[in-house]
Amino acid sequence: MTSTNDDQQSLQNEIASLERKLRDAKARLTTDAPLAPSTPANDVALHALLLLSDSALPLGSFAFSSGLESYLAHHRPSPPTASQVPSFHTFLRLSLSTLASTALPYVLAAYREPEKIETLDNDFDASTPCTVARRASVTQGRALLAIWDRSFRSHYTESSKANGHAVGLDSLTSFQALIRSASSAEDGFQRNAHLAPLWGLTTRILQVPLHDAAYLFLFSHARTVISAAVRASVLGPYQAQGVLASQDLQERIRSLVEEMWERKVEDAGQTVPVMDLWVGRHEKLYSRIFNS
Amino acid sequence: MSFTNPFLPSTSRPGHGTVHLALLPPNTPVLQTVTYQYPLKLIAPEPLHLPAHPSHPTTPGPLIHTLFLLTYGGGLVAGDTISLTLTLAPTTRLVLLTQGATKIFKTPSPALVSRQLTHTTLAPASALCYLPDPVQPFADAAVSLSAIYDLESPGGDTPAASLCVLDWVSEGRRARGERWSFHAYRSRNEVWAVDVRTGRRRLLLRDNQVLDRWATGTLSGRAATHPATTHSEELAGRMDGLGVFGTLILRGPVFEGLGEAFMREFEALPRIGGRKWEDDAPSPTKLSALEAQRAARRKQEAGDGVVWSAARVRGFVLVKFGAREVEGARRWVRGMIGSEGSVAREFGEGALLCLK
Repeated sequence: MTSTNDDQQSLQNEIASLERKLRDAKARLTTDAPLAPSTPANDVALHALLLLSDSALPLGSFAFSSGLESYLAHHRPSPPTASQVPSFHTFLRLSLSTLASTALPYVLAAYREPEKIETLDNDFDASTPCTVARRASVTQGRALLAIWDRSFRSHYTESSKANGHAVGLDSLTSFQALIRSASSAEDGFQRNAHLAPLWGLTTRILQVPLHDAAYLFLFSHARTVISAAVRASVLGPYQAQGVLASQDLQERIRSLVEEMWERKVEDAGQTVPVMDLWVGRHEKLYSRIFNS
Repeated sequence: MSFTNPFLPSTSRPGHGTVHLALLPPNTPVLQTVTYQYPLKLIAPEPLHLPAHPSHPTTPGPLIHTLFLLTYGGGLVAGDTISLTLTLAPTTRLVLLTQGATKIFKTPSPALVSRQLTHTTLAPASALCYLPDPVQPFADAAVSLSAIYDLESPGGDTPAASLCVLDWVSEGRRARGERWSFHAYRSRNEVWAVDVRTGRRRLLLRDNQVLDRWATGTLSGRAATHPATTHSEELAGRMDGLGVFGTLILRGPVFEGLGEAFMREFEALPRIGGRKWEDDAPSPTKLSALEAQRAARRKQEAGDGVVWSAARVRGFVLVKFGAREVEGARRWVRGMIGSEGSVAREFGEGALLCLK
């Protein structure tokens, strides 16, 4: 009896060890197969994209709510305790649409034709009817120029030249020179450095694909508005990440990029006229936590 | 044998119009050219002699020309194109008016768009005052309006040209339940600085409104995938309860005072979200005339749902306003321009005809 028991025991042990071997082999098989050699496909672009999407990028975006604060002040919930989340969603939708229809064509144009940066900057300035929006755009544009100057320039000059982006680089350099001499502009026109055209130009020099640059431009705006909503106590932090991750937002940004892809800058325009009112009346708020 | 046609070749094309306000030496402005073709119609009443300026009682006041911009049927039928070219010689003044709202009729297909293009060239020291009735696009209308203003750069001591342009659009025929239910409304206002010697153009201002019913980005996620359910998501939802929206563009020495007045009133607006102390204060006894006027206007604004903002931008004063109904907006614009008074003084009461 004992010997049979021992036999049984050793058989079972053998089975167990064989099964373990089989499992290990299977595991090796499944991990081996998709472990394709690491493809350094476009990690230059990815790296630049990560740099630009970092919320630590000192653009100063946190200071602007793009009209959200004013919008909420104009749309007080009727019992003051009611949730402002639905009206926040409406605002986010309208705000993205406005940004896409007014600014995105300039991002695309500056990327495609960097040598026109000065005209684009002037025309964008001429198309921004409200001082509050202009202030926000110029502050961030100038901040982007400063980041380029102090942080990126030395690392990207060589590689952009090597990759045939010398045009963009030259345009940016001469535009910066123009801005520095802006005080002595003899024709009386000030160069402003708006964010949208500079975003297009910078992403080109950083070798980010155009579609990604456009997507990130809208995404960053959504992130800014959503983070402003958190600070204005409209959304909780987890709720905010949820909105940012949502399928709805992804599809919206995608379709806006699609819609504006071939829009000429001359045809860029305001799709939500009241947005100009809300943003413009931000200065009339009794109390403010944001600059726009 | 050569043969010369004794008649000038006809240059008129359907919907085209040309107006040239010239200066007859030494300083008499005359409407040298006024041509128009169906469906456009221009009417120029007798010019108006403004009273002499009090400081120079002997020199007669300026001569103001007025032009009514009309179309047969009171608006644009689908596919109509109107193209008007205006030229103002130095120091001339022109008042442009309409007779009632410009109606935009329903189009059989969104692709068939009615168009109105105006191109105005203003020589230095000339002035244009264009305070029309609103544009009223009916349900299922599609229209594209474009107004280009070229300001010729002044040389030496000549003052720059002056411009006062009102561009406003209503929701349609409210009585028939139309609320921003047109296919598309596009309105473009551009002001360019033109250097006459070099021909170089520089954009000073571009105000584009693009109100498309089916702009995908503005629909909510659910609506974008189910277009049938989107009525409240369409334009009407984007307009935030407003029934009319407009922009007033002011520039140049003639309208300096008016622009200043808009900025001053905007600055004086009570803070939004602050406590309205005046509501529970005892009835004011020693308000100045200005304060009383302001208080009355604010009451009117609140009643008509008027929301507005003003900004000084690149040498312009830009005023954006919205109201629940056309009449409320009309009352507001008339009140603001009327109480400041310089338009009536510089162009005559007639310039405010469409705001009455």
